[in-house]
Amino acid sequence: MILNRFERLRSGLRRSAMAIILMVLCAALAVQAQGFFTTDNLLIVLRNVSMQGVIAFGMTMVIIAGEIDLSVGSAVALSGCLVAWLTGFLAGPPIGMPMPWAVTLAILASLTLGAMVGSVTGLLRVRFGVPTFIATLAWMTILKGAAELITNGFPLMPFPPWYNFIGGGYVGIIPFPAIIFLLVFAATHFLMNYTSFGQAVYAVGGNAEAARLSGIRVGRVKILAMGIVAGLAALSGVMQSSQLIAGRPDTGTGWELNVISAVIIGGTSLMGGSGTVWGTLIGVVFLGVLGNGMTLMNISEYWQHVVQGALILAAVLINIAPSARK
Amino acid sequence: MRAHTLQTVGLRKEYPGTLALDGFSAVFDGGKVHALIGKNGAGKSTLVKILAGAVAPTRGQILVDGRPVVLRSPRDAFAQGIATVYQELSLVPELTVAENILLGRMPRRRGLGGLVLDRPAAFAQAREVLADMQVDLDVRMKAGDLGVAQQQIVEIAKAMSFKPSVLMLDEPTSALAQHETGRLFDLVRKLAARGVAILYITHRLQELPQIADSVTVLRDGKCVGVVPMAEATSQGIVQMMFGEVVQRQRPVDLKAGREPVLEVRGLGRRGQFHDVTFTLYRGEVLGIAGMLGSGRTELLRAIFGAEPFDHGEILVEGRPVRSPSPDRLKDLGVAFTPENRNQQGLVQLLSTRANVCLAALDRIATCGMLTRARQRAAARRLARQLDIQIPDLEQPVSTLSGGNQQKVVVAKWLHTEPRVILFDEPTRGIDVQAKQQIFQIMWDLSRRGVSSVFVSSELEELLEVCHRVLIMKKGALAGEVRPGLLSADELFVRCMEA
Repeated sequence: MILNRFERLRSGLRRSAMAIILMVLCAALAVQAQGFFTTDNLLIVLRNVSMQGVIAFGMTMVIIAGEIDLSVGSAVALSGCLVAWLTGFLAGPPIGMPMPWAVTLAILASLTLGAMVGSVTGLLRVRFGVPTFIATLAWMTILKGAAELITNGFPLMPFPPWYNFIGGGYVGIIPFPAIIFLLVFAATHFLMNYTSFGQAVYAVGGNAEAARLSGIRVGRVKILAMGIVAGLAALSGVMQSSQLIAGRPDTGTGWELNVISAVIIGGTSLMGGSGTVWGTLIGVVFLGVLGNGMTLMNISEYWQHVVQGALILAAVLINIAPSARK
Repeated sequence: MRAHTLQTVGLRKEYPGTLALDGFSAVFDGGKVHALIGKNGAGKSTLVKILAGAVAPTRGQILVDGRPVVLRSPRDAFAQGIATVYQELSLVPELTVAENILLGRMPRRRGLGGLVLDRPAAFAQAREVLADMQVDLDVRMKAGDLGVAQQQIVEIAKAMSFKPSVLMLDEPTSALAQHETGRLFDLVRKLAARGVAILYITHRLQELPQIADSVTVLRDGKCVGVVPMAEATSQGIVQMMFGEVVQRQRPVDLKAGREPVLEVRGLGRRGQFHDVTFTLYRGEVLGIAGMLGSGRTELLRAIFGAEPFDHGEILVEGRPVRSPSPDRLKDLGVAFTPENRNQQGLVQLLSTRANVCLAALDRIATCGMLTRARQRAAARRLARQLDIQIPDLEQPVSTLSGGNQQKVVVAKWLHTEPRVILFDEPTRGIDVQAKQQIFQIMWDLSRRGVSSVFVSSELEELLEVCHRVLIMKKGALAGEVRPGLLSADELFVRCMEA
């Protein structure tokens, strides 16, 4: 009985290892880094991580389902540019739509297109067996190219000043993008833990054949998951364009790797079938806090890269160690 | 020529809940082919694994040429002179025959740190091995370009290149066509003539007169007899395999109804099964008897929509099933417990709770929403109903015993309130008590009007559990028997005969 309790404590510790390390890191930075532990700075961290974080929650879902999406960075670029281009197109002559309408419509169209691109990836995977690694590698280039095509490589700036609210505004003292981030967290957490879809995602990633033979529509689950992450990447692109008040084809470069890093640091297995949205929240915040802290301590950006990479290795070792021993 | 011997003394292997080998003692002398037979679960595969060094015996001794050996790994077994050729071929298709024979032991060129392979030397060595076996095969061909029979020969050549005292062949003919087995038998005889002790594991009784010098029969983990082939009759062997057992009967109150619930008409799939027609009635437990490879698993999977079929149709409660798929069949009230519960029945990473709810997520959920408490309540209810001992529903399902895992697979389907359950080898690898509980579940379901199709290699089980038993051979149904009218060994002979 005591042994059992000890066992439980140990597995509990293992599960919250990253959360504990995060708290230790925060405590250390509070002491070491000037200006880290202030409300303002912590809110800045939250704002900084929100755009990549939004995608990370979707990516968690996709990786748990046993797939991957490498095109999210390019999707951010295209989505931002598309919103800008569409807004300009709709608001300008000859259509001359009122600005609020034009912006809303442009955002909706971008999100829809994003979700569709993801669904096509899912469809290619399910129908023709194209690995998502390959398909999204292709999308990565295609979407980036498309963003450059519609902008000619230059920023598009058709937005009214109030458009900045989505990516740069505040509600009280809380940055609006941070609110979006937390909402997306809550939604994906709910989806993965309290719906039959979420259960199906775990089952499909854990053992697709067993899921199929349990009468779960494996294809539909995968298509939906791919659609959701791409849709969230598009949302992130909208937020980004709002923050910059411009559609720029050079945004989102390399984001896919940061996003995947956060998911892995959060304890999700690249093999599929295991991981949590909660863990990803920790992973995202962890990377944000680390970057912020190191910047406050005047550590060069080059070192930051080295540390971040080493951290991924360490996190994976922590997460894998118990199962590798078996 | 020197005749080798392999001797086992009191080999015993205990697994949790089962005794796989119970003091197996036998002597296999060189220069002969010893057939090793026994029905499913008699301990054949455990014996093979022990002699191949893949598992360690709980107790007992192995002697090669009179000297005791300890086999800690397959490498040890090879080093001690016991070579094994498994049923599943393990060649690397992209490598040449020579490279496969000498895998991991390729000759190197001198100099350059010994990093560079010496291909001509390898070809020469491999040719020597093959010439020694009097086999004519181009050593430069890719293994993947060879036919199954030739690949089998390469496997044997690989084993022989270790110059073993004992060669074990585990069901080597299972993948071969009739005319190919002849060549294999010639080769095996040649090797025996050179003093190697050959252990030939098979379930094909009709092969024995052609290949074996003596027959060793296993039953319940013991050696129950060694018969020189000249004195053996297949009836005598079958009786030794099955022993004197009292055939148990199903409870008398089980009655099959009249209304058909599942009709399979002329179902066929190229190269797997053809013209399968049968009707399953309400509350009936219908057995399908057949050897491994008879097409029974493929048939069940096709009925459940897990694999396509080319001909025929399936009717559930009188209505034809259009474009069958597992989710479609599930909606129609058909359930399926696959043969391989580890890889196909359960998601091992997930908790018992999640696995029990897997097939009925939409039923347990309201509007797609599903709380953990709700799943737990559902899982607990079924665990009680099926008498599954689960200390903690949140532990991974992989921590449960085989019998309980199988019950979880069944439990998963009960949520969907099925009318038909297709059981593919539900009793494989579980202990006697758990088997009885699985039977009990089938009978209880039958009383409630749920029908079952029960595929099993263990014929006594089929005779104990089922209302009717269909015999499947080479992809086609070859008759129907009623339990009570014949014994397990008679059914075995009917499944075997050509």
